[in-house]
Amino acid sequence: MLKAENNISKHHYLVANGIVVLLILVLIARFFQIQIYRHEKYKRKADVNRIRAVTVPAPRGLILDGNGLILVDNYPTYVLTAIPGEMGAIEERFQAISRCTGIDSALIAEAYHEYFRGRFVSTRLAKDLTFEQISKLEEHKLDLPGIGYEQFPERIFPSDARASHVLGYLMEVDQVIRSNLIKRNAYNLGDMIGWSGLEKHYENRLIGRKGVVYLQVDARGSIVGDVTDVPPVAPEPGSDIMTTLDLPVQVLLENELKQLRGVAIASDPVTGEILAYVSMPDYRPDLFTGTTPESEWSALLLNPDKPLLNRVTHGLYPPGSTLKMITAIALLERKLVDPEKTFECTGSYEFGDRVFRCNRETGHGKVNLHQAIAQSCNVYFYKVVQYLTLNQWVATAAQFGFGKKTDIDLPSEETGLVPDEDYMDSQYGRWGWSTGALLNLAIGQGDLLVTPIQMLNYINAIATHGQGGPLHLLKKIDPGASGLQPSISIGTWEKINGYLEAVIHDEQGTGHSANPQIPGLILAGKTGTSENPHGEDHAWFVGYGKMDNRMASIVVLIENGGHGGQTAAPIAGRAFKKLFDQQPNTQMVQRD
Amino acid sequence: MLLSIGKRLSEISLGIILCVLALTVLGLLSLQSVAQHQETTLVQTSFFKQLMLTFPALIGLSVFLFVPRRLIHKTIYGLYFLILAAILIPYFGETVAGTHRWIDLGLFVIQPSEFAKWIIVITLARFLSDHNLEMRNILSLVFPISIALIPALVVLKQPDLGTAIILMTPVIPMLYWAGARPYHMFLILAPFFSVLTAFHTISFTLWVVLMAMIIYISRPKLLSGVVTFFTNIFLGLLAPVIWNSLRPYQQNRILTLFNPDLDPLGAAYQIIQSQTAIGSGGLFGKGWGQGTQTQLKFLPTQESDFIMSVIGEELGFVTVLITLLVFAWLILKILKLAYNSNDRFSSLVLLGIVVIFLAHVFVNTAMTVGLIPVKGLPLPFVSYGGSFLLSSYMMIGLVLNLSINYPE
Repeated sequence: MLKAENNISKHHYLVANGIVVLLILVLIARFFQIQIYRHEKYKRKADVNRIRAVTVPAPRGLILDGNGLILVDNYPTYVLTAIPGEMGAIEERFQAISRCTGIDSALIAEAYHEYFRGRFVSTRLAKDLTFEQISKLEEHKLDLPGIGYEQFPERIFPSDARASHVLGYLMEVDQVIRSNLIKRNAYNLGDMIGWSGLEKHYENRLIGRKGVVYLQVDARGSIVGDVTDVPPVAPEPGSDIMTTLDLPVQVLLENELKQLRGVAIASDPVTGEILAYVSMPDYRPDLFTGTTPESEWSALLLNPDKPLLNRVTHGLYPPGSTLKMITAIALLERKLVDPEKTFECTGSYEFGDRVFRCNRETGHGKVNLHQAIAQSCNVYFYKVVQYLTLNQWVATAAQFGFGKKTDIDLPSEETGLVPDEDYMDSQYGRWGWSTGALLNLAIGQGDLLVTPIQMLNYINAIATHGQGGPLHLLKKIDPGASGLQPSISIGTWEKINGYLEAVIHDEQGTGHSANPQIPGLILAGKTGTSENPHGEDHAWFVGYGKMDNRMASIVVLIENGGHGGQTAAPIAGRAFKKLFDQQPNTQMVQRD
Repeated sequence: MLLSIGKRLSEISLGIILCVLALTVLGLLSLQSVAQHQETTLVQTSFFKQLMLTFPALIGLSVFLFVPRRLIHKTIYGLYFLILAAILIPYFGETVAGTHRWIDLGLFVIQPSEFAKWIIVITLARFLSDHNLEMRNILSLVFPISIALIPALVVLKQPDLGTAIILMTPVIPMLYWAGARPYHMFLILAPFFSVLTAFHTISFTLWVVLMAMIIYISRPKLLSGVVTFFTNIFLGLLAPVIWNSLRPYQQNRILTLFNPDLDPLGAAYQIIQSQTAIGSGGLFGKGWGQGTQTQLKFLPTQESDFIMSVIGEELGFVTVLITLLVFAWLILKILKLAYNSNDRFSSLVLLGIVVIFLAHVFVNTAMTVGLIPVKGLPLPFVSYGGSFLLSSYMMIGLVLNLSINYPE
């Protein structure tokens, strides 16, 4: 093993020694040259000419609507900066700045400590300087060594739409945020980072890359000139993103819901493009730029209507009757009920020791499936759902995306809740629940919770017979993936779509008011009035319209809005009018 | 036949330990200087982290001091494949700072390529001492070169050019130590020099002259000498032509492969700043914590790769000189141990370690004074960096262990 003897020759050893000594001598000679022989030159350089690297912010990409109209733009603001090591008496400087600008010196001191990164690194003292403040500072420049200002782009929202929840907002990177970032080195303190909505989801596209210019500054911190031997790095602006939003429809729906709490979303079921995305109440989109007064902040946070909540993806609601199609599809696909067979509705239905009510107290009389959906009869569904097991119903609901994320291109969303047998067992115990739970599910009540975006996904699947694209907000030439593809027979698809058309067009249909009466427009939909523990019923409308070869779907939810047919459906009607009653080329992109 | 612990401790060189501790303290002092103007808590500073890291490092040293050398010899091939797997692991994880260098162990990250340095050395040492190779035959050099080349290529792709170079450096000296003909090693290295110098007329001319002299002195067969000479010149002339025929983005891709740490524009700036810092330090420096250039924070890696610019600026030429002399003494001491070693395996390991330390000291220091382009390599015992500190202390443990000559 280790028996091989060491037989290194003296010659080899001397050569090796020589190389070590030579290399170390080269280093020593070089240090001598720089530190002793040329010391004066470098000393002057260090004392007089400091090269300062100044980062040039890259403008963030714009956010556009589907027709190229600007939703989010940048505008330049000025921030006050300081090089701590060049300021001299710090407190005096703060006082002087305060005299020039009128900004409280305590606030300046606070910002100074928050943004401090090093003695010779530019530190932010104040934001949003006005032109007057800058000229005042410029006048007193000699009294303010080490103080300067930099341009800083901020977000501005030039369109009529607010779309606060979908566009999202930026957050200023502070110590805590920065230490939690994965790509920490791409951000300095005081930089802006996409913190919600599209701004967050497409942060990597929007952000661009910062540039650097190298400036020569003298010992007092005044800029002497550019550095010629080190070329600057130009900033790379972020890429613009074109969204699928349709500005006029977005604005219309925002206005419709202005005084309400709820959601209105519209999409093209075929492509999955989201055309409007409204969650109300909202907040002003520029809330997080500039200086928001503390009072406005706390008012928002404490508001019982939760304006910061993105109800489209994070609001959990019982869907009510809008989900009856799940029950109908589950039965039709398994051929468990003849759609022509009628059941008697007397206004209520006794099951075990409980009484389940229909929404028409006097009852609907004898109804078949067609009439039961068109007139939204509960009793019919209480009776037929008993042909199903709970897990059969759950399987069909899962096919339509309930209990799962829609994978829309936003940072997060809720999954909702579809109570299967395991869930019921764990929640109420093996014997603690009965088929009564199924009766509730049949009409979209019970433990069931959905998000409005799931409802849009669901109605799109019905509208396109499961051939639509995935819901998305970023305009793509080819969406690539496909949306929900429930394996449902063509016969069932046609029946269901027929029933939904009856909801709007039948004499007794509950969705009458969703019809803007445009010749050639075929509408289909379903209303819902869902009971909830927080007061008055929620009003729902889900539906779609088609004319020529264009299609659009809408989900409207009004919290505590009462009857879906009376509150939600008319709003959808006005949106349908906007979507279909104008020149097609300005409203929707034409497809062949 | 384990020697008693007492006997072992009495035989090891106290000088080596003192050198290492002195260098570690110098590193900690510099890190503390950098940290004092940072507004972070003590626990977050690299000074504190490095201080904490010296404890596992000392444990690593002790372990390698007491592990029987026969056990090292026996297990090294297994270890080699283990480390090969370890440097591949980061490719399956997320990139850290854009590279596949680190394995995230939750509490801390580890850089396996640092440990590959001495594992490759020992593997080579075992291969070269076990097999009575006909070292005068050029073909018997192929296998030992591959031992280092395979992990080096993986590391190069991470991308980490500095470490890849370090992994390759011990090969030629160890082959030389084992008796390979210098002319053969020249044949292996010559094409690289031809291509690299081709972009700089004076360097290329000097290289051609040097090449002619070497070939003349070595006196190979006339034909083979002429072929070698002109093949290399041809390669050198061809390289710029091929390079210029590449599109800019292809050139950039190659450039960033070979210089991944910094974009070329930033590198120029770093060297100017580092040189200014060191030069302005003068004979005695500006004083600990007083370096204006250091405190400007112009170098993103002044705690690791550019620590020498902190020392040069704040503590001056005297300290730099002492530091370099300490390194020189340490390296020459290990070289002497290699020469005096009883068995060839130990001798080769010691020589490999000499090369690794020398390469780190030279590349790191030469970079800070603008002698060579910027390569991200730390200064042993001084620079901030956990994996390398631990690995360096392990190598010192190994040196002390192998320095004890057993009565066979």
